[in-house]
Amino acid sequence: MKRILAVTTTALVMASALSACGGNSNSNNDASSSPSESASASASASTSEVSSNGSGEKVTINLWAFTDEIPNMEAKFIQTHPDLNVEFKNTVIATTDGAYQPALDQALAAGGKDAPDIYAAESAFVLKYTQGDASSYAANYADLGLTDDLVKEAGIAQYSVDIGTLDGNLKGLGYQATGGSFIYRRSIAKEVFGTDDPATIKDAVGPGWDKFFDAAAKLKEKGYAIVSGDGDIWHPIENSSDKGWIVDGKLHIDPKREQFLDYSKKLTDEGYSNGTQDWQEAWYADMSGSGAKPVFGFFGPAWLINYVMNGQVKDTNGDWAVTEPTTGFFWGGTWVLANKDVTKDEAKAKVVSEFIKWITLDTSDTGLQTYWANGTLKDGEPGTKDSVASSVVMAKSNGTVELLGGQNMFEVFVPANANATGKNLTQYDESINQIWRDQVRSYAAGKKSREDALKDFKQNVKDQLGIESE
Amino acid sequence: MRRKGVSYAKYGYIFSLPFILVFLVFSLYPILYTAVIGFTDMKGLIPKPIHIMDNPFQNFKDLLFDNASFQQSLLNTGLLWIINFIPQIILALLLTAWFTNKRLNLKGTGAFKVLLYMPNIITASTIAVLFSTLFAYPMGPVNSLFHALGWSDSPINFLQDKMTARGIVGFIQFWMWYGNTMIVLVAGVLGINPALFEAASIDGANGFQTFFRVTLPSLRTIMLYTLITSMIGGLQMFDIPQLFITPAGGPDNATLTTSVFIYGQAFKGSYMYNKAAAASMIMFVIAAVLSALLFYLMRDRDASKLKKQMKKQKKAAKAAARGA
Repeated sequence: MKRILAVTTTALVMASALSACGGNSNSNNDASSSPSESASASASASTSEVSSNGSGEKVTINLWAFTDEIPNMEAKFIQTHPDLNVEFKNTVIATTDGAYQPALDQALAAGGKDAPDIYAAESAFVLKYTQGDASSYAANYADLGLTDDLVKEAGIAQYSVDIGTLDGNLKGLGYQATGGSFIYRRSIAKEVFGTDDPATIKDAVGPGWDKFFDAAAKLKEKGYAIVSGDGDIWHPIENSSDKGWIVDGKLHIDPKREQFLDYSKKLTDEGYSNGTQDWQEAWYADMSGSGAKPVFGFFGPAWLINYVMNGQVKDTNGDWAVTEPTTGFFWGGTWVLANKDVTKDEAKAKVVSEFIKWITLDTSDTGLQTYWANGTLKDGEPGTKDSVASSVVMAKSNGTVELLGGQNMFEVFVPANANATGKNLTQYDESINQIWRDQVRSYAAGKKSREDALKDFKQNVKDQLGIESE
Repeated sequence: MRRKGVSYAKYGYIFSLPFILVFLVFSLYPILYTAVIGFTDMKGLIPKPIHIMDNPFQNFKDLLFDNASFQQSLLNTGLLWIINFIPQIILALLLTAWFTNKRLNLKGTGAFKVLLYMPNIITASTIAVLFSTLFAYPMGPVNSLFHALGWSDSPINFLQDKMTARGIVGFIQFWMWYGNTMIVLVAGVLGINPALFEAASIDGANGFQTFFRVTLPSLRTIMLYTLITSMIGGLQMFDIPQLFITPAGGPDNATLTTSVFIYGQAFKGSYMYNKAAAASMIMFVIAAVLSALLFYLMRDRDASKLKKQMKKQKKAAKAAARGA
């Protein structure tokens, strides 16, 4: 009896010791598990399956995304394509703390049955997957039967095509268009400029930043801030520069981006903004006008209106309007790519091609973009409207939004999308932008000189990314 | 026939075997592999063939002499550790003195110990979010408080100023860990022979003298443990600096500690594993040197003197035996 007890206990102890893998570290102040996991406990991977009841052989598609948007489209896809027998296996990992990219990269590199067949990439890192280090994993749209003619027919915004193209081969397209606009308060516009008409306001704040700052001065006289913080003007400036951060493998500071240093300082020194940092509490507060000074406007695409401001405007709901921005830009967006290996399997290639076509190029009334633009994706439930990649779809959709006092936002976003450019981006943009904005904040707050800010920026980029400056 | 005594020694080996295996595979091998990577040019996301660099110590040299961020991170780590540790040890010793003072005989020390230890249990991410909301700019609880009390007329950007950012990170670490240090020290004091305390009180020592002349010297081993673990933990400080201010690194790299720097090198941006591995090895060497220094400083001088005397005596005895 004792013997059995002894043996069982031994086995249990060995099993528990082996399962609690990793040596003992007796340290006082460090995180107990690997940094990326303890920090993003909420951003854990979730998998789900969606399958259909069509005829024919069942095809399994592995889909990787970082939000629920694409998985939520699958039910509608199956509804509108009853002839296809497909099962979707979704893996959703949020991009918090950069958790999505390493997981996706490993899955692509590993290959095999579980490799992603369709994967999504956000604008912050899409270049890596369409043109950069990981582009060798992506299939050409042409190999899936999605030709350039289809792209032209659908009137896809040019910047989206540019970003998704490598050496003339289209590898990724988005379903949204995230061309930016200037979203402003109607009541403040009436008080300061005499009218809230989008065409007039468009001329008041642009084109060009000189006009923008003239408007800022007018607003300041009446006690309003034109924008919430320097982050608001960064996106238009970033996207409208002639060249990106890296030219011929070296760090290049485009003169238009360098001007951001001066503009940011001007915003702070002259009191044209509330000095907030985007995506922080005070920035959200400015959307309902409850900051230090009421804020006139924000620069942003449709998703800023429908997904961010929607929850934050509170009493100012209906008091907003959109017009074309000081300079054309885009911000954010999701590109959909297919794995090169799907072309080897004919049945899979057909389903993948249908799905991607339905999301990105289908301009019919049963195409995803029509549902997305009109907010009718879920039956019986009014969804959120959003600007889509196809200008053809937007032209025939209803883009009136309550937040904008009933204005049809597509009228502004169709030209806005055309003005955005996708040619000045690099795959390191996320990191370089972070370093750049940190230095600009220091300079705007008066903590260092302009030369030091530029010098430290170059030094930090070299230290942290190994990229030399010109 | 003499029955052999049962030797349980083999069970000891069997029980330690799982841990040793796991340690060899999951700890020792990665450490050696990391050390090797430090000498190569491994970088980038897609696995490429890696080569030993032409000058094997190139990464180390670059980091120590050319990399301003790494030098800054070393400075920050030291600075943050000092801001964190000095108040921590003083407060912990003070609380230990009070909680173990027989004459004071405080009531409810159990409840206090629980309360003081609580900050350690809260996860780092929660604390980081809490404090960054507290110190938000331009509107936040602390700013409103300062305004209401009249201490400042315009909101202060705590998270943008280098010294306040460091101060807050140091304070958070202190607040999280002083409870832990105190519990360890109390346990150490409880291990001291009560006869010593009785002798001290008979000789008429007051609380002050008891603490400095009886408690502290007896706590030498525990103090060594606290110092070593705190130092190593301080060198590896990661969770709060990474999460408290986004982007990680703080305003102008003010709260960039070495671990945050290594994480950024390896897993963000250019994925420069070789530089990160080299930096990790440098930290390993620094930790080893500092630990050795601490052990040397805190050695029991009486015991080592005794050992030396014994050695001399033995030598003399041997020489005498040979000579005689």
